[in-house]
Amino acid sequence: MLSYILRRLLLMIPTLLGITIVVFATMALSPGGITAQSLVDDFGMNPQEKAALEAYYNKRYGLDKPAPVQYLRWLNNVSPIGFEVSEEGTLGRFSWRKGIDLGESFLYGRPVSQILAERVPITLLLNVLTIPIIYLISIAVGVRAATDRGGRFDITSSIVMLALWSIPTMLTGVLLIGFFASEQYWHWFPPSGLSSLEAARMPFLPHWERFADVARLLGGMLAGFAAGAALAQWRNRTGRIIVAVLVGLLCATGMIDALPHEFSWVAWFWTALLLGGVFYATAGSDYPALRLVAFAFFGLCLGGALGAQWGASGFVRGFLLDRLWHLVLPVFCLAYGGFAFLARLTRSAVLENLQADYARTARAKGVPEKEVLWAHVFRNSLLPLITVFAALLPGLLGGSVIVETLFSIDGMGKLAVEAVKGRDREMVLSITLISGFLTLVGYLLADLLYAAADPRVSYD
Amino acid sequence: MTSLQKAENRHEGYAARLLRKTFSRWSARIGAAWIALLAVVAVFAPFLANSRPLWVSVGGHGYSPLLQGLTWADIGWLAAFFGALLLWSLPLRFGQRLLGLLAIILIASLIGKAALKPRTIEIYEQYREQAAQYDEVIYTLVPYSPRDYQRDRGDTGFQPPSREHWFGTEENGADTLSRMIHASRVALSIGFVATGIALVIGVFIGGLMGYFSGLFDIIGMRVVEIFEAIPTLFLLLTFVAFFGRNLYIMMVIIGLTSWTGYTRYLRAEFLKLRDQDYVQAARAAGLPLGSILFRHMLPNGVAPVLVGASFGVASAILAEATLSFLGLGLVDAPSWGQMLFQAVRFSSFNWWMAVFPGGAIFFTVFAYNLIGDALRDAIDPHLSTVEE
Repeated sequence: MLSYILRRLLLMIPTLLGITIVVFATMALSPGGITAQSLVDDFGMNPQEKAALEAYYNKRYGLDKPAPVQYLRWLNNVSPIGFEVSEEGTLGRFSWRKGIDLGESFLYGRPVSQILAERVPITLLLNVLTIPIIYLISIAVGVRAATDRGGRFDITSSIVMLALWSIPTMLTGVLLIGFFASEQYWHWFPPSGLSSLEAARMPFLPHWERFADVARLLGGMLAGFAAGAALAQWRNRTGRIIVAVLVGLLCATGMIDALPHEFSWVAWFWTALLLGGVFYATAGSDYPALRLVAFAFFGLCLGGALGAQWGASGFVRGFLLDRLWHLVLPVFCLAYGGFAFLARLTRSAVLENLQADYARTARAKGVPEKEVLWAHVFRNSLLPLITVFAALLPGLLGGSVIVETLFSIDGMGKLAVEAVKGRDREMVLSITLISGFLTLVGYLLADLLYAAADPRVSYD
Repeated sequence: MTSLQKAENRHEGYAARLLRKTFSRWSARIGAAWIALLAVVAVFAPFLANSRPLWVSVGGHGYSPLLQGLTWADIGWLAAFFGALLLWSLPLRFGQRLLGLLAIILIASLIGKAALKPRTIEIYEQYREQAAQYDEVIYTLVPYSPRDYQRDRGDTGFQPPSREHWFGTEENGADTLSRMIHASRVALSIGFVATGIALVIGVFIGGLMGYFSGLFDIIGMRVVEIFEAIPTLFLLLTFVAFFGRNLYIMMVIIGLTSWTGYTRYLRAEFLKLRDQDYVQAARAAGLPLGSILFRHMLPNGVAPVLVGASFGVASAILAEATLSFLGLGLVDAPSWGQMLFQAVRFSSFNWWMAVFPGGAIFFTVFAYNLIGDALRDAIDPHLSTVEE
C-alpha cells in the first residue's frame, strides 16, 4: 500500500509540470505576453522613471529573459529542492532544503503564499458547509428514486434534478441577490461579504435582553415545527394539499404585502403561483420523509420569524449568527448544482445494485427489503459516490469562482478571476499549481477510499 | 407496434434505431422542439428584430431597407439553414451531408463578404424619424435592432417591460428582446462549433490511444490528466484573458478545454473493440489505418461519445455565459450571459435583465440535457425511468 501511494505521488510530478507548462505557455504565447512594459502603468510618468521602474521589474521577476528560462527560474523557486537564489537573482549552490517560494504577486506586491493563506480558509469554509448538504440531499433523493423506479417520485425527481442541474449558478445567484438581498424587494439576507461591519464588535453567540424574547422565539419555532410535522404526517392526501396550498397562498400574500412598493396583482400572481406550486408538489408527494423535512423546516423558519417579530428589542445577533446569515445564499448557490448531479448518480448506482444477483439472493433467503437496501445495496452503491467526491472538490473550487465573484466573498475563486484579469503571473501559476495538486490528491484519496470500501480492490 | 413494423425495424441501422428510441420520449421531443425553435429564431433573426422596416413605399416607389441591410453573417446563416434542408432531403451519407453543408456555408459567406459592402455606421433613428413620409410601411415583429440605442428618444436605459419593449431595455437603451433574438446565434453556434472542435480532437486522440494502447496510451493519458487537473473554468479564464474575446477565439478555446471526456470514452470503447473479430479481419485484409479506425470501429464505439457531446453542447453554452458574466465575454456581439451580467452590475436590480436572458440560457441548457439524458437511456436502457 505504501509503495502504491509513493508511486502515485511520484507520478504527480510530471502531471504538475505539465499543468504549469500549459498555463505558463498560454501566458507567454499570448499577444503582448507578460513583460515589464505591460506591468508598468505609465500614467503621468516621465520616461526616466518609467525606464527605471521597468528595469526594476525586469530584475525582480526576470522578465527580460527568454520564456523557457523564466519558467525554469520559477520552477526552481517553487520546488522544495533546487538551487539557492541570491538577492541579485544569481544561482547559488544546490540545496536539499531551501523551501518553497511562490514568489510575489504583481498585483498586490505581497508574497503569494501570504495572500493564499488568507483566501484558502474562506473557500474551504464554503466547501465544508456545502459538501455534507450535497451528500445528504442526494442520497435521500437518489435512494428513494431508485427504489421507486418508474413511479411518480422517480420520474418527477429525475426531471427536477435535471432542471436544477441546468440552471446556471449565476442566474440563481443574480435572482437570489436581486429578490432576497436588495432594498427593492425583500431585504432578508445581506447581498455581499461574509460578515457585517459591526460583527467584529459583537459577542460570539447571539444575545437577548429578556428571557421572554427567547421563550417567544423558541415557542414560535416549536409551534411551527409541530404544525409542519403534523401536516406532513396527515394521511389524507387531498386535505394535505388543500391546507398546504392555502398556507402557500397566505405566505405569498404576506410577502407581497411586505414589499416596499404598492401592492401589485401581477407580482402576487407570480409569487402565489411559485409558492403554491412548490407547496402543492411537496404535499402531493408520496415520499413521507421529504414531506416531513420540508414542512417541518418551513414551519421552523416561519415560526421563528414570527416569534422574533414580536419581541425584537435588545437583540444582538452575535458573530456566529451573522456569519451563518451571510452564508445562506452562497451555500445554497453552491449546493444545488452538486446535489442535482449527485442524486442522479446515486439513483443509478443504487438501481444497478438493486438488480444485482446478491440482492436477489438476500431477498430469496428472507432478508427484509429495508435491510437489503441499507445493509447490502446501499453499501455497495457508495463506490461511485466516493469517486465523485474527488471530482466534486475541484468542481466546487470552480463553482465558487462565480459564487464568490457574485457575493463579493474574498476566497480563492475571486482571487483567481482577479489574478487572471490582472495578468498576475506568479499568482496564476500558484493557483494552478495548488488547485492541480488538490485535484490529484483528490483522485488519490478517492482511489484509497475505494480500496477501503471495497475489499475486492487492492493495489498491492 | 404491429409485428410487420417490428420486422421492418430489424432492418434499420444502429443510428436510426437510437434516434427513434431517443425521440420516442416526450422529454427529448420537447428539448428538440426548443432547439429547433432557437435555430429558426437564430437564422431569421434580422427578419424578426430589426429597426429597418421590412417594406417601405414612398411615392409609389417601394423597397426593402431590411434586405439592403443584411450582412455576410446573415447570408451565411440563411445558406446554412436552407442548405441543411436541401441536403437532408437528398439521399446522401452523413459525412457527405456534413461536408456539403460546410462547403455551402463557406461559399455563401465568401460571396456575401465580397458582394456586400460593410456599413461602418448605422443610423437606425432615421427610419423612425422618416416614418411620417412613408406611404406604406411594414415593420418586423420587434422593430428594434440589437444595437439601436434609441438616441432619438432620450435616455431609455433600463426601462421595465412595457407595450413598447416587451422585455424592457438594457443599460444603453437597446431593446432586450431584440438583443436576445440576435444573441441566440451566439448560443447556438458556440454550442455546436465548440463541441465539434472538442469532438474532433477527442475522437482522434482517444481513437489512436485505444487502438494502439501501450506507450502511446500512457503518454496520452498523462496529457488528458493534465487537462483534467486544471479546473475547466480556470483554464478557460486564463485562455480568454490572455488571448482575446472574439467569438471565433472563444469557440476554439472552449473546444480546446473540453475534449478530455470524449477521449476517455472513446479510448475505453476502442480498448474493448480492438480485439474483436471484425477489426482483426479488417486488419488482415490490409485496410488502411484510417479506414479501420473511422469506418469500422468508430460507428460501433461512438454511442457514449454522442451522449457526452449532447451534454457538452449544454456546457459550452454555459461556459460562454459564465465568461460573459465574469466580464470576460464577447465585446462585439450581444450575448445572454452579458445581459445577465447587467442585471446586478448597477445599484438597482433590473429583474427583466435576469429573468429573460437567464431563462433563455436555462431552457437551452435544459433542452440539450434532456436530449442527452434520453440518448443515454436509449443506449443503456437498463437504468431508465421507463421500464421496458
